[in-house]
Amino acid sequence: MRPYIDKKNKMTQQIYLGLFIIFFIFSLLQVGILDERIFQAFSRVENLLKGMVPPAISEPIDVAGAAVESLQVAVMGTLWGVVFSIVLAMFAAKNVSPHISISYAVKAFAAFVRAVPALIWALLFIVAIGLGPTPGILALAVNSIGMLMKVYAEAIEEIDTGIIDALKATGASQFQVVMQGIIPSIMSIFISWSIFRFDINIRYAAVLGVVGAGGIGWELVRASRVMAYDEVLGITLVIFGMILLAELVTRFLKDRADMATLKAME
Amino acid sequence: MSSLAKQIDTPVEENKVPDMYKDLQRRKKVILKNRLVLWAIIAALVTWAWTGTNFSIAFIYTGTANMAAFIFTDLLPPDFSAFGRYLQPALQTVYMSLVGMVISVIFSIFFGFMAAKNTSFHPAIAFTSRAIIAFLRAIPALIWGITLVVAFGLGPLAGTLALGLSGIGILGKAFADVLEEIDQGQVDAVKATGASWFQTMGQGVWPQFKTGFVAWSLYKMDLNIREAAVLGLIGAGGIGYTLQGNINLFQYQQASVGILMIFALILIVEYTTAKIRERLL
Repeated sequence: MRPYIDKKNKMTQQIYLGLFIIFFIFSLLQVGILDERIFQAFSRVENLLKGMVPPAISEPIDVAGAAVESLQVAVMGTLWGVVFSIVLAMFAAKNVSPHISISYAVKAFAAFVRAVPALIWALLFIVAIGLGPTPGILALAVNSIGMLMKVYAEAIEEIDTGIIDALKATGASQFQVVMQGIIPSIMSIFISWSIFRFDINIRYAAVLGVVGAGGIGWELVRASRVMAYDEVLGITLVIFGMILLAELVTRFLKDRADMATLKAME
Repeated sequence: MSSLAKQIDTPVEENKVPDMYKDLQRRKKVILKNRLVLWAIIAALVTWAWTGTNFSIAFIYTGTANMAAFIFTDLLPPDFSAFGRYLQPALQTVYMSLVGMVISVIFSIFFGFMAAKNTSFHPAIAFTSRAIIAFLRAIPALIWGITLVVAFGLGPLAGTLALGLSGIGILGKAFADVLEEIDQGQVDAVKATGASWFQTMGQGVWPQFKTGFVAWSLYKMDLNIREAAVLGLIGAGGIGYTLQGNINLFQYQQASVGILMIFALILIVEYTTAKIRERLL
């Protein structure tokens, strides 16, 4: 029996692999990657690079302002995302939620908000409340809520029920349980995920301008529309620097927090 | 052994308790001071961002209210007659993600092997590969899309290449990290039998690498479908292009079909990748 089963399993695998390859080739044809343009790739990229080097920025003040705005949008989006996620996570976690149906409702909301990409949210917020940084902030906040609420709720669900029971036994109110029992237990998970989300938000903030939500993305689209290749590269480098800078700052903050704990442990 | 561990091991002597209390207070002070500095930095960042973007708490309320009004009056009910128009772009999004994933997997295997210290030919090559990977990762897919649309024209080709390029940044790093963590003993054992480079890779490295390889590649597929859905906004093919067309023409009820289809696409792809992951691992 055994060799037969092995043979069957192997055959199933081969069939799946075959189907995958057929689907892949079909996709290749659909995407049009075997286009004549791909064979001109070298000359096209060469042209592009010739136009790009040396990178230039024609309006440094505007670009710098847009980069700063992107960073600010990311900070604000993360701030509100974190604030609302904490509150909603208290309702989403099964062990602290007032009722189980509320928990499911909040989690379903989070799943939907998470599945719609941030840029689509930005597009919708622009239609709903107009141009500027505010739709960008709200879009990032909403998209962050989807992800952060899930991880916060999971962290809360995994904490030791003994802690909560002990607090309840002392006659603590629901608010006191949250402040003294839950928040200290999830603090480290909370910090690392919030920082991670900030890194994601920086990247989103850099591209939000593509749909008109302010920031450096708009400058990039503008430059690419007028075929100013050197400016495209210049602005891309600014975005690169901006993301690196933000990552350095978050790493510094994280290291500093860890260092303090280590120092106190000595 | 750190001093803390020593304290835990040695029994507490009565006359030393006041000293220990002082020590505890000193430690608490260190942590408190550090926390204050951190919170001050964060508060400064937030104030800077708050004033810079002219934000006000009222925006949250008005934003939510406007959004709710927009959703219930303009977006709903979805006009499902637009479904046919969205089907082709939706499928194109899937094709783009798949091809983008395969491109990034192929190149990431190469860059990953070159970037991992234990499989690379030379430390200089490892360093260069890491640098290339880091550069590709730091720039979002959408920005690669903008640049590639300039080079290759509008259409799914630019979007697919953008997905592939940004994918190398993510998968290359992941593969290199997985490779660096494999057990060198197994590789050495295969090498000791006189195996060639390819045999060593196939018999010593691949079995340990497989799990991480499959998991990360499927994760990339999940990411790609999200990226591909918005690449259309810059004309790089896929469902986003049709969606933006509808929004620009104020056809919100048709646009809501597009949003629902993006949602469904993401769920279907995530479900499928989860099933494949279960089967393969």
